Amino acid sequence: MENSSSNSIRFLLNDLLYKIDFSDNKSQIKPTTTLLNFLRTQTNLKSVKEGCAEGDCGACTVVMGETEHNEIHYTPVNSCLIFLPMINGKQIITTEYLSEKKDDKQILHPIQSALAETYGTQCGYCTPGILMTMFAIYKNYSDPDEKTIKKLLSGNLCRCTGYLPMLEAVRKSSKNREDKFSQKEKATIEILKNIKNHSTISIKQNSYSYHIPCSLNDALDIYNNNPEAIIINGATDTAIRQTKNNEKLFNIIDISHIEELKYFRKDNDNYYIGAGLCIQKLLGFLKDTITSLYDTLEYFGSWQIRNLATIGGNVSTASPIGDTLPVLISLKSSVKLKNITKERIINIEDFIIDYRKTSLKKDELLTEVIIPKTPDNNIIKSYKVSKRKELDISTVSTCFNLSLGANNVINEIIITYGGMAKIPCRAKSTEKFLTGKKWCKENIKEAGKILFNEFEPISDARAEAMTRKIICRNLLTKFWSENQN
Amino acid sequence: MEEQIIKHITGESLFVNDIAEPNDFLTGDIFYSSKAYAEIKKYDISKAKSYPGVYAVLSYKDIPGINQMGPVINDELCLAEDKVTFIGQAIFLIAAINRETAIEAKKLISIEYEELEPVLSIEDAIKKNTLMHPERKIERGNIEEGLKTSTHIIKGTLKTGAQEHWYLETQTTLAMSGEGNEMKIFSSTQHPSETQEITAKVLGINKNQVEVENRRIGGAFGGKETQANHTATWAALLCKATGRPVKIHLFRDDDQIITGKRHPFLINYTAGFNEEGIINTYDVELNSDGGAVTDLSLAILERAMLHADNAYYIPNIRIIGKVYKTNHLSNTAMRGFGAPQAVAAIENIIEMIARYLKKDSAEIRRKNFYKTDNNNITHYGQKVENNRLDFIYEKIYKSSEYILRKKSIDEFNEQNKYFKKGISLTPVKFGISFTTSFLNQAGALVIIYRDGTVLVNHGGIEMGQGLNIKIRNIAACEFGLDKERIKIAPTNTSKIPNTSATAASTGSDLNGMAVKIAIDKIKKRLMKFAADIFNSDNYDRKTFYDDIIFHKNFIIDSANPDRKISFTELVERAYINQISLFDTGYYRTPNIWFDRVKGTGKPFHYYVFGMAVSEILLDVLTGEIKILRTDILHDPGRSLDENIDLGQVTGGFIQGSGYCTTEDIKWDKEGNLLNHSPDTYKIPTIDDIPVDFRVELLKDFPDQNPDTIRKSKAVGEPPFLLAFSVWLAIKYAISSICKHTKEPEFSIPATNENILQSIEKLINF
Ligand SMILES: Cc1cc2nc3c(=O)[nH]c(=O)nc-3n(C[C@H](O)[C@H](O)[C@H](O)COP(=O)(O)OP(=O)(O)OC[C@H]3O[C@@H](n4cnc5c(N)ncnc54)[C@H](O)[C@@H]3O)c2cc1C
Ligand code: FES
Ligand code: FES
Repeated sequence: MENSSSNSIRFLLNDLLYKIDFSDNKSQIKPTTTLLNFLRTQTNLKSVKEGCAEGDCGACTVVMGETEHNEIHYTPVNSCLIFLPMINGKQIITTEYLSEKKDDKQILHPIQSALAETYGTQCGYCTPGILMTMFAIYKNYSDPDEKTIKKLLSGNLCRCTGYLPMLEAVRKSSKNREDKFSQKEKATIEILKNIKNHSTISIKQNSYSYHIPCSLNDALDIYNNNPEAIIINGATDTAIRQTKNNEKLFNIIDISHIEELKYFRKDNDNYYIGAGLCIQKLLGFLKDTITSLYDTLEYFGSWQIRNLATIGGNVSTASPIGDTLPVLISLKSSVKLKNITKERIINIEDFIIDYRKTSLKKDELLTEVIIPKTPDNNIIKSYKVSKRKELDISTVSTCFNLSLGANNVINEIIITYGGMAKIPCRAKSTEKFLTGKKWCKENIKEAGKILFNEFEPISDARAEAMTRKIICRNLLTKFWSENQN
Repeated sequence: MEEQIIKHITGESLFVNDIAEPNDFLTGDIFYSSKAYAEIKKYDISKAKSYPGVYAVLSYKDIPGINQMGPVINDELCLAEDKVTFIGQAIFLIAAINRETAIEAKKLISIEYEELEPVLSIEDAIKKNTLMHPERKIERGNIEEGLKTSTHIIKGTLKTGAQEHWYLETQTTLAMSGEGNEMKIFSSTQHPSETQEITAKVLGINKNQVEVENRRIGGAFGGKETQANHTATWAALLCKATGRPVKIHLFRDDDQIITGKRHPFLINYTAGFNEEGIINTYDVELNSDGGAVTDLSLAILERAMLHADNAYYIPNIRIIGKVYKTNHLSNTAMRGFGAPQAVAAIENIIEMIARYLKKDSAEIRRKNFYKTDNNNITHYGQKVENNRLDFIYEKIYKSSEYILRKKSIDEFNEQNKYFKKGISLTPVKFGISFTTSFLNQAGALVIIYRDGTVLVNHGGIEMGQGLNIKIRNIAACEFGLDKERIKIAPTNTSKIPNTSATAASTGSDLNGMAVKIAIDKIKKRLMKFAADIFNSDNYDRKTFYDDIIFHKNFIIDSANPDRKISFTELVERAYINQISLFDTGYYRTPNIWFDRVKGTGKPFHYYVFGMAVSEILLDVLTGEIKILRTDILHDPGRSLDENIDLGQVTGGFIQGSGYCTTEDIKWDKEGNLLNHSPDTYKIPTIDDIPVDFRVELLKDFPDQNPDTIRKSKAVGEPPFLLAFSVWLAIKYAISSICKHTKEPEFSIPATNENILQSIEKLINF
């Protein structure tokens, strides 16, 4: 069923089919209304809470259901960072829908019983969000180990319980994936298939316009005619501009529905990552391929954030403290940029031109990240240091790419740091000093001195400049100490 | 399953922000100061007022009553007048159709400041001597003499940082006006009576015209003891001005910028001890950053002074306490209420002594513990009764395999350069009661309806500590009824008046007792009535009033168990016979007093004890730490509900470990709070809890407990302080870098930043 450019979106909210028509100019709902605000003001699903409006607490977590190969794939996401049109064709699940009332008796979902039995709720404010993440664990993992549970739940803050009971509750309950949702899965898939859009939806409402293209060509075409538009993919960076800085985002092209941008491929020379691939899915491909990228991305945001955030979005922010860039630079990656007429491939170092500025032209999209395969005996390692291990932006991050020749002489070393300058930056003096020298303690010590003075970082809420310098130097020592032989 | 828990897990629980608003409600917002200290020269709110969708923009001139919100001392304006004294201080209030409009309107307000020189650190405050109130002193023995006879003396300074409460639910109020001057306020407050009082004062109306109600709050930890009053008062002012319901749900960043934190302390100390490590003299000066206004700073300082000894008997001791005024937000109550800062100091000193004498710190602790027969009087003259320190120590020392693990840690440290481990055992002794003695009172109103169901009203607030679960259990037990028949009403000032805050861990002690007293009164009448009924059947043996028991929904003559009547039937018959089915209860904690001038008394009803052993792994190159294992043994008296008490201990400990590690608050040179959102303010996640986490309650003394409700002990605050085991384990790991030959620089919090800087000073790589 087509509903092209009909100024409306459709989604399944628990088991209710919603159609939102933006033609109503007086409506309280705008295309940029967040899912959280929609749920809290237009429905009675008040279990979904606002704790921060920036993706950092998880109180607003809902589960998003999408059809994939005739199954529903359930992922937890932060509803505070989602613009309503992003959920077109999807199912949104909230805590209210976990349990059912049958003959006046409440039938709880296994995860609900488990959380109650372990007293995993105190004030209860975080609880619906926690349950949503637990529900997604239930549906995606059977019998996860403790480390996995902690990783998946670290996007949900709780200030009361000290978390111990939640760990126990997940352990107790996540043994099988069967539940009432499994029973309804077939019917739900049918509905979702029916409401999925296969051509561009263009929403216009007063001064707002919001486009949801389904193919790269359509996207480029719209962008070509509308070069002032803001591109969003996961929107985890962009939504903050609205929720926290109160900016009005009038003109959006949302490329999150373009399936052809979500891929990971390889040939003899390179890895190719589609710009639309979210970090969580990317991680699945990286474990046996690009471990240095895996190592930092493992600590990227939270599960909720990783489900939304894309690699294209991360690279395009050109943030000095983004996680992918130092790794991509040290791996000599490049990016593919496309407009309606042509494409170009440029070195990632040339792509980042200034503080949060790229060489993307006003009609161009980043479509692919290309990472060359490195020789097997190169030693590559990345590190991310932050105040808190999980769900924190890096204070300093780095990636080393070392190629040793005969007699432990350094043929080439590439060292890139994030958090030390206004863009992710190579430590060129240190690289120069080390090249051609022996890989040994004395040289590392000398290099450390150079490195210590190579950057003039800033002091901010995360750390003082001095601390950043210490970390920067120490990470080289760490790299050396782990690879002495 | 507990009803409250079911509501939480099904998403039914309503918090203030979830209450269905009336259709015409407005959103309230606050325009606050962006200067730390300045005179307001000029301002213009006219453009904001005429912005479409704006219904009111108020300044202090629009306050109908008194422009004053101080909870204890009248030094806190509701809205700034001609001067601002901290960033985040409210100047104007806005009511608009929605948040977006309010924010647009705020942009239209123009204001001109003339900046004055602010005081932005405690060091600066000391230099400029900005004492908020005269210093206080508690002293015993003779410091000078004591130091003369000490074999060794150490001196030092400890800095402890601020801590943000980070309750998940930000401050929220929905205010609705009624007939005449009536005002009904739903507020996420820990202290409805004070919220009522201050709102009435600012609105210029009587307290009997203001009704404050609250069903539950989404975490508080002290942050809603006084600071909920602000949001409530502001919403009420806007409601009064517009005649429409007004809701304020503080945006997270605003909440962090406006509301107070745990007090930062700067502590100067001198300690004298002998070869054994026994401390005979302790001279300590506690300097606290009160912020711009007094709030609860004096009571917090007092509790700090009363806990400077922690678990240790020190014959010569002098504690000086000073609160300084600075141009920071108004620091306020937070779990532990001053005690953590003072306890951190003495615990740190013990570690220093151990390092100095090259002895084990746990040993030093044990030697200095309060004893049972002698050395059992605190510096303020209260006897430490039911002392369990030695008992807990022996137990946890063994169960945690302290000695064995310490040995292997030392070996690990010998063998590893870039990873170090640390371990520490720390105790807590925590006094229970408000130190302002008259606050230790509570009320209850218990009602039985004709269908045999019970409604319990009490003055406490459910904020996650499980108070209502405990109270419901108490009521069910006392009445011998199924829990399903008992409902706890939302806390409401028109039901239970003049209450104290739900704070100082006293919630179930005070309110539980009040509820029991009310129930006892009703039961007495019902027992008499039941005896009359049984006796009217002319049995040959009489039923005695004393033999009547309430059991499993029946009222039974225990001497003649065949004589019984169901609770429901008895209640109906009592009603017909004109016997009252409701009553009030009033409780005050007996025999506590404190003389502030002399610094002596019996301020606490009893003490709570606990201990923890924590082991951590430090990455020397990044400063990152991991808690490998924590063992806790905590004394809840005879627990009212073990699951709830375990939850309090676990949660309190983790909150404390956040305070000691990642929860960092920084200010810039202008006095702006830098960590004003969870983006940069980092409380523990599930990944930060100890890898191996063993929490246990002490059950060895079921009967030797204080005269409290069912012989239970308060449990809210004390476990927080057990996190110093983590903090000092980190210090041990750092000092192992130089083989414990130097004393590392150390403060709270031990962020990876502070750890790295400390290591940097110890040694050069
Ligand atoms: C709570 C939280 C935690 C976070 N943690 C981390 C972290 O640990 N590490 C980290 O690096 N980042 C983190 N971020 C930042 C952010 O999530 C990432 O930068 C993310 O990768 C952005 O991807 P996105 O798809 O969501 O970007 P979007 O917000 O959709 O876009 C970001 C920017 O890129 C542009 N853009 C996106 N895709 C394209 C494209 N294909 N072509 C051209 N331009 C494009 C957009 O116009 C926009 O300017 C965090 C953010 C939040 C809210
Ligand atoms: S509200 Fe905190 S993550 Fe969305
Ligand atoms: S139960 Fe209160 S925040 Fe989790």
